[in-house]
Amino acid sequence: MTDRFHHPSDREARSAARAKALESLLIEKGIITDRTVDTVLKVFETKMGPFNGAKIVARAWADPAFKRRLVEDTPAAIAEMAGMNDLPAGMAGAEGEHMRAVANGEGVHNLVICTLCSCYPWPVLGLPPYWYKDPTFRSRAAREPRAVLKEFGLDVPETVEVRIWDSSAQIRWFVVPERPAGTDGMSETELAALVTPEAMMGVAVSKAG
Amino acid sequence: MKLQHYLGGLEGLGPLTIETRVFVEEWETRIFGIHTAMMALSPQLSLPATPSAFHTVWTWADLRKGAEAMNPFDYFKYRYYEKWLGGISGYFVANGYITEEELEARTAEYLGDPDKPLPRGGSPEIDRRVERYLEEGDSPHRDLAVPVEFREGDQVRVRNVPTLEHTRLPGFLRDRNGTVVTVYPGAYGYLTDTGADGIGAPMAVYCVRFDPQDLWPGNTEPNLSLYADLYAAYVAEPTAELAAPSGDASA
Repeated sequence: MTDRFHHPSDREARSAARAKALESLLIEKGIITDRTVDTVLKVFETKMGPFNGAKIVARAWADPAFKRRLVEDTPAAIAEMAGMNDLPAGMAGAEGEHMRAVANGEGVHNLVICTLCSCYPWPVLGLPPYWYKDPTFRSRAAREPRAVLKEFGLDVPETVEVRIWDSSAQIRWFVVPERPAGTDGMSETELAALVTPEAMMGVAVSKAG
Repeated sequence: MKLQHYLGGLEGLGPLTIETRVFVEEWETRIFGIHTAMMALSPQLSLPATPSAFHTVWTWADLRKGAEAMNPFDYFKYRYYEKWLGGISGYFVANGYITEEELEARTAEYLGDPDKPLPRGGSPEIDRRVERYLEEGDSPHRDLAVPVEFREGDQVRVRNVPTLEHTRLPGFLRDRNGTVVTVYPGAYGYLTDTGADGIGAPMAVYCVRFDPQDLWPGNTEPNLSLYADLYAAYVAEPTAELAAPSGDASA
């Protein structure tokens, strides 16, 4: 028998205490301040997050010319929205220095993965959910994406090409899902509410209501 | 070889765990914040100096190296941010900022009294730099003329480079044939020099399309394309045997 995969019963309490001990020592030693961690977390609540990606996708749904520009030159299209104050500053910031959008439609479904780690477009999507970082997802999505998508509740028929984007160098990829049926006349704000991080990574599609 | 370099395509892992939260425990937010602050305060960035005592380089490459160096069983055993907690606290000990004894003693204090407050203090310049790093990022793009050996549409073969501790080459692509679909303009450095593995200095990066039927013959799904962004050091001329298009010749 092996205890290789045994965890102590106080697993989380120990990690919590160790993380707090580390933060406390780093503050004492002048490496960070007592506000540094909260400063970082606030950026991800207010400036960098999936709420930006949702606005970008909603704009692409509402304006086909913008969608073309977004796919052809992602940073320029995002900068265009930021220039109209429709996105906060920092859209080419950390982990968003080189982003590219790929669009679903016309017999194509896109899926973004990172088999080596967890590369993710921070400014537009925030931080990656656990499923994206999980070694099982990262391993399986490369070889059997349809089986993986089925577990997410998404059936992609064999007539639709699945394009898998492995984020292995500078580009951080995201997906523009298809505009769902039954959304005619919706405002961009209403449309943005239909866009999930999962849809922008390609493990879900957007649905009306 | 390290299993962590060869995760793509690994079989027998069973069903997914579909957890859509970013953090599943409150403490995970703290270690994430610490890591991000370390990246922001790392001295190689051209951001305003601060009174922070942090004086050694910390980038994604250091975090990744740590995860890639793990016993592969532990890599699967520990949750994402547990690996970060281990790697980051180990870094502060190894670089002499804190001792393991200090960390253990402080951990015991917080285990006994989880609500004991954190110490106070620190210069606001430190936090301003952290915010500035997040807003400005750290682009690896360099406006340099570098050799660009391949063009869009060219067949290429992925080199089987001698990787030691760290790589950005997914293992399942080694020795495989693909087609260049994009030559990214300019040159791209990497956060660290990976030695004989070959990346670090600014070089061209190609987006290369692979047919999963070539990667896992008879053991994948139909109608797929797999794209990877590959540094020039990882890409070579196809060998004669591989020069002929395989699979769908029209692709």
